[in-house]
Amino acid sequence: MLDLLTYDFMQRSLLAAAMVGGLCSVIGVFVVLRGLAFVGAGTSHAAFAGVTLGYLMGWPPLLLAIVFGLATVWITGWVEERGRMKLDVSIGILYTTTMALAILFIGLMKTYNAEVYGFLFGSVLSVTPEELRIIGALSVLVLGLLLLFAKELYFIAFDQEMAEASGVPARQIFFLLLTLVALTVVVSLKTVGAILVFAMILIPASTAYQLTHSLAALTFYSAVIGILTAVAGVLMSALWDVPSGPAIVLLATTLFFISVFFSPKRVRRTWLVHRR
Amino acid sequence: MSDPREAIIRFDHASFGFPGLIALKDISLTIYEGEFVGVIGPNGSGKTTLCRAVLGLLAPVEGHLHIFDCACDELRCHHRAKIGYLPQKGVVDRNFPVTVLETVMMGRYGALGLFKRPGRKDRDIALEALAQVGMESHKDNALGHLSGGQQQRVFIARALAQQPKVLILDEPTTGLDLTTQHNVIELVQHLHDELKLTVLLITHDINMIRSRVDRMVLLKTRLFAAASPAEVLKPEILHQVYGKDLVITENDLVIVEDYHHHH
Repeated sequence: MLDLLTYDFMQRSLLAAAMVGGLCSVIGVFVVLRGLAFVGAGTSHAAFAGVTLGYLMGWPPLLLAIVFGLATVWITGWVEERGRMKLDVSIGILYTTTMALAILFIGLMKTYNAEVYGFLFGSVLSVTPEELRIIGALSVLVLGLLLLFAKELYFIAFDQEMAEASGVPARQIFFLLLTLVALTVVVSLKTVGAILVFAMILIPASTAYQLTHSLAALTFYSAVIGILTAVAGVLMSALWDVPSGPAIVLLATTLFFISVFFSPKRVRRTWLVHRR
Repeated sequence: MSDPREAIIRFDHASFGFPGLIALKDISLTIYEGEFVGVIGPNGSGKTTLCRAVLGLLAPVEGHLHIFDCACDELRCHHRAKIGYLPQKGVVDRNFPVTVLETVMMGRYGALGLFKRPGRKDRDIALEALAQVGMESHKDNALGHLSGGQQQRVFIARALAQQPKVLILDEPTTGLDLTTQHNVIELVQHLHDELKLTVLLITHDINMIRSRVDRMVLLKTRLFAAASPAEVLKPEILHQVYGKDLVITENDLVIVEDYHHHH
């Protein structure tokens, strides 16, 4: 196993997995608390549509993924704000529309393109040095902004109207959060793929949610779980020759169910019922 | 008419809502520094709209609203952080991972502004606010594990952590048992007396607040009265808003007359 770690590709993929795992799990805390789970799913499919259009037209796929991802979250946020429709309805419509576009663009390609499928299912073991640099730069940007606006992000996740009433620019912070979700999805496309990135955002934060009653501890636990499962998943993938995306996600899911079982919250609730 | 006290909130022929759906119409009302004002009126009478307007969440569609003598036509005026607010009791997710102290610290965020991290001073202010509502020993507990009355106290502490001049409470006693209701109102009265806060208390419980407030504001889309409880709680005034079934008993309780029982 130690031999494996001497290969360049292995070091790159472990680094990429750690960054993506950390990034997804930290933004996941706000996604779970603010109830934006479905937005994550919708954005990843929209970003994938961007990738397919990029390959079809010969334009940079990641750039188009960002454009599609941002357009989706901004339209969703705008529709919710105007009170026209609930968030899950508008994201549901955009989700399926962009998926239809992705299938259409793939259909229009005359040849089979394996790289496109790499973005759908993830291929962390084939991350190039250039992709690693992009992942690194975007991770620093997103984590930096999260850190800078952490107190406002926590406040709107808890109670957006109250945040607004006490002088926090809640509306702008909400759009910032949506933007960061879109960027995170794009950063993670190559490593875990459009279908599984959603799991990377949701599962570590939901696992940590079972374990603590403190916002600070929640964020810390989530990041640790995200990084560890991503790195362990890549190692398992290399050792046993199984696809990396499913290895990461299934490992995270296992941890999630263990945490639900041993959750202090679950124990407490049972205790309360017995006391009555 | 001039008044020696400082006017803190002044509605000047202000209307709120949307064209075609006016929630409050032509309100002219001045609230002075240090007043304890009870806002009453039936469901849908615009009480919460009045709160939201003072908080700067709504701009008047007609007329003006001055807060701390600043025409807050521009929403999110910098005065907003000086107004502490207890929203109508929402359902707190019992599992939302936030401690009591973390909740109260949020009260500092608006006052701190962007890019500033809360420090030791903010923590001290939050702890003092918790002490003022008698919840300091619960600071590390999960918010979701507290009783309804304790949660209200924590939310009042969050409003106090803003170091406000005005405290607005939107139906703070809804969903609480009688003793807890009484304790929460006692706490509000105590804060008004001790911290010299201007208090706007929205409630349906006229009897509970009548002996405590300086003035009562009676709303039903329009402003029907804004005067001392003795002046407002008269049958001819209450009947305009609540209908003829409302009666005032010999010992000054406002109740709904039960005709079936009567006959």
